Amino acid sequence: MKGFLQIHDPLKPKGHVVGIDLGTTNSLVAAVINGKAECLAADEGDARLLPSVVHYSANGSVIVGKRASELLPQFPTDTIKSVKRFMGKSLGDVETRKLGAYKFLEGKQGVVRFEVAGGQPVTPIEVSGEILRQLKRRGESHFAGKVEQAVITVPAYFDDAQRQATKDAGRLAGLDVLRLLNEPTAAALAYGLDKGVQGLYAVYDLGGGTFDISILELIDGVFQVKSVGGDSALGGDDFDRAIAQKVLDARGIKEPSAQQIATLLQLARAAKERLTDAPQTELVFEGAPFPITRADFDSWIAPLLNKTGVSAKRALKDAGVSVEDVKGVVLVGGSTRVPAVRSYVAQIFDREPLSDIDPDQVVALGAAIQADLLTNEERKDEVLLLDVIPLSLGLETMGGIAEKLIGRNSTIPIAQAQIFTTFQDGQTGMDIHVVQGERELVQDNRSLARFKLSGIPPMAAGMGRVQVTFRVDADGILQVSAKEESTGIEQQITVKPTHGLTDEEMEQMLLDSIDHAEDDMQKRLLAEQRVEAERLLMDGAKQLKENGDLLSTDERREFEAQLTRLSTLAKTETNHEALKAVITDVDGKARPFVEKILDRAIGKAAVGQQIEDF
Amino acid sequence: MTHVATHFELFNLPLSVDLDVKALDDLHRKLSLETHPDRLTGADARERRIAAEKSASLNEAVKVLRDPVRRAFYVLELKGVKLDTEHAAAALKMPMEFLEEIMERREALDGARQARELSRAQSMAKEIAALKSASLSTAQTALRADDVPTASIALGKVRYYSRFLEEVEAFEEELAAS
Repeated sequence: MKGFLQIHDPLKPKGHVVGIDLGTTNSLVAAVINGKAECLAADEGDARLLPSVVHYSANGSVIVGKRASELLPQFPTDTIKSVKRFMGKSLGDVETRKLGAYKFLEGKQGVVRFEVAGGQPVTPIEVSGEILRQLKRRGESHFAGKVEQAVITVPAYFDDAQRQATKDAGRLAGLDVLRLLNEPTAAALAYGLDKGVQGLYAVYDLGGGTFDISILELIDGVFQVKSVGGDSALGGDDFDRAIAQKVLDARGIKEPSAQQIATLLQLARAAKERLTDAPQTELVFEGAPFPITRADFDSWIAPLLNKTGVSAKRALKDAGVSVEDVKGVVLVGGSTRVPAVRSYVAQIFDREPLSDIDPDQVVALGAAIQADLLTNEERKDEVLLLDVIPLSLGLETMGGIAEKLIGRNSTIPIAQAQIFTTFQDGQTGMDIHVVQGERELVQDNRSLARFKLSGIPPMAAGMGRVQVTFRVDADGILQVSAKEESTGIEQQITVKPTHGLTDEEMEQMLLDSIDHAEDDMQKRLLAEQRVEAERLLMDGAKQLKENGDLLSTDERREFEAQLTRLSTLAKTETNHEALKAVITDVDGKARPFVEKILDRAIGKAAVGQQIEDF
Repeated sequence: MTHVATHFELFNLPLSVDLDVKALDDLHRKLSLETHPDRLTGADARERRIAAEKSASLNEAVKVLRDPVRRAFYVLELKGVKLDTEHAAAALKMPMEFLEEIMERREALDGARQARELSRAQSMAKEIAALKSASLSTAQTALRADDVPTASIALGKVRYYSRFLEEVEAFEEELAAS
């Protein structure tokens, strides 16, 4: 009955709503179905996690997810992973260049652009947009209907530029972003509504690339965030890097190649995952094993964990509570599977953490619940979220000092105004420099935007009074206006330019994405086949080189002709089904050759075994 | 000119330096349930904008009223003395010996900061925190008796002390970040 009603509900003219966890390593989409939040599985299998990896092929196609991550070792600069760590960042940010073997478009200030195969350089917003589009498609194939509205989660510790970038990525993917929801808040919502908790809770969220800690109080249908803290550049990726670095050190590799880094990071990640259950493991890099015990690993990551402890203590202090007041600690994020992380959390909070909802899914489930609460008329009185801004917002004043207008952990939405006076006789303009962060000096904080209020009538120093107003909306996004009191001259901006895209750039991208949307599906299927063809071509060439002696001259000529045919069609054929047929055909013709290669390989392995046996 | 509701009026509370924070929090939660824009997602853009503004005023008000220091400054402001800019604070005739003393203390703090001696800075902060709370209580007593000049000087001192404590905190952050 309810499903039928929903179809005719006039308040739901916009299709289905979903919650999206846009993660550093994996992303998920969830929805409330028959009153229960569920993560949606991919149509091609039962995998719920979509690896947040995007591959750009030479032929201009874009591949997202597991298939893209398989292409990563081979195409390290054309395959973008952990793009979340680049959101809202510029090339000037210290961390940016350390994150992977990417080629950046140099010489352009502002937003990061990756040089990838097959077309124009892409921004992190576009890369994230591809991931979101894939999840939107997943939702649409699940519902067999349109998905146009979503709640997207962000780390609580994301600053204004990072939030703007995420919202823009949503728009690019054709989603109306109902709300940017802080990840720990989403997790608390999933626990709160599912498990019926009340009281003061801490959420410890360690993902692939971000760490968040939130202190929340759940009373009488209001989820109030008391404080948040964290580090937007700390996560499980850093654990992988710690392992990879040890291997490089041990092997004396000073300047690893892009491919070496990419391969090693994947091996490190797999080793880390094995150490969750096993006390020791080894990774095999370039043919040689490297043993790792859990104790080694624990000691390598201990400094990273201590950083999370400092943030947790600060968050408790900001909330005005002590460890004893906390009724429970919720674990979120794949990296909380690491045993050392669990025991560290247990130690700092003096209690065993809760993890009965899958830490990979809990954020997406919370986002789906919030999406439902925001759109489902029947549920909107159930619960209200009161969130906070993570970092103080302020202005540059004389001497490069940052003057805070809205302190961190202020409940949003919020507005705050302050009067600044002119400091020179006859001053007719005032530079407004908006910054975010806790440090005293402007240079140590994040610069968000600059603008100038001009047209102040000349008067004596201290007589001109400019009222600057900061407004932060429920998504945590800032708008600033400045007004000279005697003339009423006013200027207003949504904070954006420094590390974001200009409105024109955004508009162009939106136009492009609409153009693409229609033939998107066709393109994706074709792209998949082209990648398949490329793989077959590459394998074929490799086998010819290594095992070509197994073929007679005629057989060899025939096989090469097949590969040439495929190579041409892979470039020219625009019908994905036709291309697929050719691939199947070529693959079938290669079968006798493959069998010979396999025989030889088995022969070799058998020899190897005998040697070992003696 | 229309009358803008004071933070106290928003919560229907009497203007006073004394306030039950727990009761305020409860009230804030209750009012948020009525005014938060998320409660009106079906409404038109104009209604939602009004709701967002109301909600923002409530959040701003509760932030000021929850904190005894901000609350005292706000009460003083409603009594006609606004200490929100350096200029206004400087216009107060602060006692000379106080200014000299705070200057000396800040120099000592700068010294500790340059030498990166956190514990020295923290023990100074402890003394200042005690002075701050004494001045605050002087200000509160004066405000209860409607003695604006005494309250102004006392809160002027609180402002200097707060600055000092903020500087110590900035120092702590600086060390934690390095």
